[in-house]
Amino acid sequence: MSVASDQLIDRLTSELGTDSVITDRATLEAHAVDGLVPRAVCSPGDAAQVAAAIRVCGEAGAAIAPRGGGTAVALGNVPHRVDVVLRTDRLAALVEHDDANLTATMEAGMTLAHLQTHLAQRGQLLPLDPPRPDRATIGGIVAASTNGARRMFYGGVRDLVIGMKMVLPGGEQVKAGGKVVKNVAGYDMCKLFVGSLGTLGIITEVTCKMTPLPERALTIIARDGGSTAEGSGAFRLIDALFASTLQPSAIAVLSPRAGELVRAGGPGVATAVAVEGFTEAVDRHVRDITGMAAAAGLSAEVLEGPAHERLWAAVADFPRSREGEALVRLTVPPGAVATAVDALSRVDDSPVYVAHAGAGTIWIGVEAARAATVFAALTSVAGAQHGHAVLASAPPEVKRGLDVWGSPPPALSIMREIKQRFDPQQLLNPGRFVAFL
Amino acid sequence: MQELRRIVGDAHVLVEDADVIVYEQDGSILQAMPEIVVLPADVTQVSEVIRAARRAGFPIVPRGSGTGLAGGAVPAGGGVVVSLARLNRLLGVDYRNRTAELEPGVINLEVTKGVAKAGFFYAPDPSSQAACSIGGNLANNSGGPHTLAYGVTTNHALGVEVVLHDGSIVWLGGTVPDVPGYDLCGVFVGSEGTLGIVTRAIVRLMRAREDVRTLLAIFDSMDSATQAVVDITAAGIVPAALEMMDKTTIEAVERGAPAGYPRDAEAVLLLEVEGVREYTERALRMAHEVCTRAGARQVRAARDEQERQALWKGRKGAFGALGTLAPNYYVMDGVVPRSKLPQTMRAVAEIAEQYQVRIANVFHAGDGNLHPNILFDIRVPGALDRVIEAGAAILRACVAVGGSLTGEHGIGLEKRDYMEWLFSKDDLEAMTRVRLAFDPQRAFNPGKIFPTPVSCGEVRRAPARIPEGLWI
Ligand SMILES: Cc1cc2nc3c(=O)[nH]c(=O)nc-3n(C[C@H](O)[C@H](O)[C@H](O)COP(=O)(O)OP(=O)(O)OC[C@H]3O[C@@H](n4cnc5c(N)ncnc54)[C@H](O)[C@@H]3O)c2cc1C
Repeated sequence: MSVASDQLIDRLTSELGTDSVITDRATLEAHAVDGLVPRAVCSPGDAAQVAAAIRVCGEAGAAIAPRGGGTAVALGNVPHRVDVVLRTDRLAALVEHDDANLTATMEAGMTLAHLQTHLAQRGQLLPLDPPRPDRATIGGIVAASTNGARRMFYGGVRDLVIGMKMVLPGGEQVKAGGKVVKNVAGYDMCKLFVGSLGTLGIITEVTCKMTPLPERALTIIARDGGSTAEGSGAFRLIDALFASTLQPSAIAVLSPRAGELVRAGGPGVATAVAVEGFTEAVDRHVRDITGMAAAAGLSAEVLEGPAHERLWAAVADFPRSREGEALVRLTVPPGAVATAVDALSRVDDSPVYVAHAGAGTIWIGVEAARAATVFAALTSVAGAQHGHAVLASAPPEVKRGLDVWGSPPPALSIMREIKQRFDPQQLLNPGRFVAFL
Repeated sequence: MQELRRIVGDAHVLVEDADVIVYEQDGSILQAMPEIVVLPADVTQVSEVIRAARRAGFPIVPRGSGTGLAGGAVPAGGGVVVSLARLNRLLGVDYRNRTAELEPGVINLEVTKGVAKAGFFYAPDPSSQAACSIGGNLANNSGGPHTLAYGVTTNHALGVEVVLHDGSIVWLGGTVPDVPGYDLCGVFVGSEGTLGIVTRAIVRLMRAREDVRTLLAIFDSMDSATQAVVDITAAGIVPAALEMMDKTTIEAVERGAPAGYPRDAEAVLLLEVEGVREYTERALRMAHEVCTRAGARQVRAARDEQERQALWKGRKGAFGALGTLAPNYYVMDGVVPRSKLPQTMRAVAEIAEQYQVRIANVFHAGDGNLHPNILFDIRVPGALDRVIEAGAAILRACVAVGGSLTGEHGIGLEKRDYMEWLFSKDDLEAMTRVRLAFDPQRAFNPGKIFPTPVSCGEVRRAPARIPEGLWI
C-alpha cells in the first residue's frame, strides 16, 4: 500500500464530495467482502466520478470492489484485498426506454424491480430472474451474469445485453455495442464484460432488449406426491415436453425440501412449467401439458395470478446466499439434468435443489460444514456430463481452501492475458475470479 | 513452402497465379492476390501450417467459402490464405441436448438439411446459406432473415475450438453455457478471423416449430411500410422474419423473376410467424390488422406451403434480379433502431438523389438492418467512387440516429476507416487489448476491422463475384 488511508480518503473526498465517501465503522463492516472490511465506501454520482475514483485508487494502489445491490457479493473467491467498495447506488437513472425499438438503457445501479415497474407501464419487461430483484441492480446482474429459469425461452444475460458503457481501470470511459439489436461493428465487447464480475472495468450503463408483457402467464405444477424420490416422473414429463413442439417459458424441478422452501405445496418432487403469451396459445399449453403430466403419473394443478407470481419469485430467489449455508451451481446439458439429479441424491440423501431443466442449471443448497465435500462430489458429477460446478456462495473459511470456480478453464492463459492488459495493477476485485485472477 | 507441402501434400498448396486468383476476392468489390493458398485437412494440419507460416513471418488470412461482403477474406497485406473448405464434416448431432458438433467448412444449409428429418433446424440462416461456411458465419457473427426471433450466430454458438497464432489449440466455451471465466467464445464470434482459426464448433439446434404462417403486405408509401414495422414490434408480435423490399426492387423482381407484385407499389413487407398453431393464427391476424391500419393497400396470407413459397419467391429472387436494372450493384449493410426506420429510409432516398445513384432496398426490416443495394455501371468513369461515397453517407445517417456501421456483414477491409465514426480512440484501444491478448503479433488477418492510417496499396476494386443461387 503506497498511500496511507487518510490520504486516500482525502483524495476520494475531494473528487466525489464528502457525502459520497463514507468511512464510519458500521458502514464499512456492512460492505465487507468475505469478511474483508474496506477502508472506504464511495458512491460516485456519474461515470466521470467513477473514472475519478478509479484513478485515485490506481494512484494509491488501492483495490476496488465494485458493488451494486450486494446480492452476488458472495460469488467468487475470497479477494486478495479490498480497500475501497465502489457502489453504483447513485447511478440509478433510466437513460432511455425506446419502446418502439423494444430496447432500454439504464444506469448500472438501477434495480431490476424499479426498471420492471417502469417498463410495465408501457407493456414491456426485461425477462431476467435474479434473486432479490428489489435489490439486484442491472450492472450487478450483468457483471455476475445472473440467469434464471426463463432463459430457455428468452435467452440469458449475454443474449439480452446489446450495449454498455464502462470505466476501465485506467479511468478510460468506453462503450461497447449500442442500441441496435443486430450489430457486428468490431469485437463484441459486451460478451467480455457479461460475467466478468467487476474484474475488467466498472459497468456504468447497460442497454438491453426488452420483450412485450405476455397477455397471459400461468404455471402448470405437476407433483409426484413423493412416489419417486429422484423425480423420475418429473423427467418423464420433461422428456415429453422436449419431444413436443410446445414452447414453455420456464421449467423448474423442485426437490421435496426445496418445494417446502419455495412453498410450492404438496409432498414429493414438483415440476413447475411456466407458460406465457397469447391467451389461446397458453390455453393450448395447459391442455397439452396437463395431459403429459397425467401420462407421466403426475397430478397437475394450474396456478394463476399471485400464486403463479409468488412461485416464480421464490424459484428466482432460491439461489440467494443464506447465513450458514452454501450454494452450488451445477451446469449440464439439458438432457443430462435427470442423470445429474439422480447422482445428486447419492451425494446427499435429502438434497435441496431447484433445477432449471430447460437451461440445464441446477442450484443446490448445502450445509456450510459439508460444502467442500459436496462441491468436490458435484464437480465430478458435472465433469461426467461435460458440464461444470461452481461453489456460488459459501462462508469465507470454506472458500479459502479451494477455487470456487472449479478447475481452471482451458483458455486460462488468454484470460490472464486479458486481465493483465485491462488491469495491470490488479485493482479490480483482485483474486475473486477464476484461478484467482 | 516446402514445409507447407510436407504438411498438407503438394496438391493442397497453391502458388501459381492461375490457381490462387480464385482466392483474391470474396463477395465484396475488393481484391488482392494471395502469395500462397493452403488447404489443410484437419486441425493438426491447421496448427502446423500456422507454425510454419509464422516461422517464415507470413500473415495468415482464414477463409471459408469467400462469400463475405466486407473483404474479410481478402489478403490485403499478402501472406498465406488458409482455406478451411476441407474441414467439412458434421461430426455429431445430439438431439437430446439439441447441439451439433461440426467442422468450420460445413456449409450452413447442410446443417439444417442434416437434422430436418428429426424435426430440428439450425437457426442462423444467412441468405447465402447455400454457399457460406459455418466458420465464416462464426467469424462474422452472421444473421439472416429468421434471426429476428431466434438470434444471430453468437446466440447459437456454445463453444469453438480454435488454433492460435503459435499453433496451440484451445477450446473457448464448451458444450454448455456459463463456462467459468470470461466468455471468450462470445468474444471470438464476430472477430472476423483476427484472433485465430476455428477448427470445430458446438452449436445449438432448435426444435422445428409446429406451424408457420406467412403474410405479404403491399404499401403505397415507404413511410407507411416502415411505420408498419414499428407498429408490429410495438404491438408485441415477434415475427420469425420481417423483410422489406422497395419500389426499385419490386421493379427488378417483376422484370427478372416475376412474383406478382404490383409495379406501382412503393414497398412490400413479408412477415412470417412460427410457433404453435394457436399462436401463429393470432399473430397473423394481429399483423394483418396492423398492416391495414398502417395503410397497406393489400394484405395476402399464404394458405398453404405452395402459396408460402410463392410469397417468398420474389424476396428470394430480388437479389438475382438486380441485374435487370444495372450491370453492377454494391451491397450496403447498416443498422438502425427500429423506431428510426421511417426517417432513415427517407434519408436513404435523399442520399440517392444527392449522389445521383439508384438504390434498391431489400432488407431485414424487423431488425432495423438495412441493405441498400446501390446500382451502377462500372464502365462509367467515376461511377464506383460515387457509389462508395453514397454508401458512406448512408452509414453516417445510420450512425447519426444511434445505429451502427454493420448489422451482419462485418467491418473487414471495407469499413475499417469508418470505425472512428462509431468508436472513440479509447473504445478501439479496448478492442486492441483483446486482439493482442489473443494474437500479440497481429498474425491473423492484419489490416481488418481496425482503422489503418496507411492505405493498402495491394487492394484493387472490381465488380463483386457472387455465386449463382444466393440471395440477399
Ligand atoms: C448473396 C449474399 C447474401 C448474403 N446474405 C447474408 C445474410 O443474410 N446474413 C449475413 O450475415 N451475411 C450474409 N452474407 C455475407 C456472408 O455470406 C457471410 O458473412 C458469411 O458468414 C461468410 O461466410 P464464408 O464462409 O463465405 O466466409 P468468408 O467470406 O470466407 O470469410 C469471412 C470472414 O471469416 C473469416 N473466417 C472464415 N473462416 C474462418 C475460420 N474457420 N476461422 C476464423 N475465421 C474464419 C475470414 O477471415 C473472413 O474475415 C451474404 C453474402 C452474399 C454473397
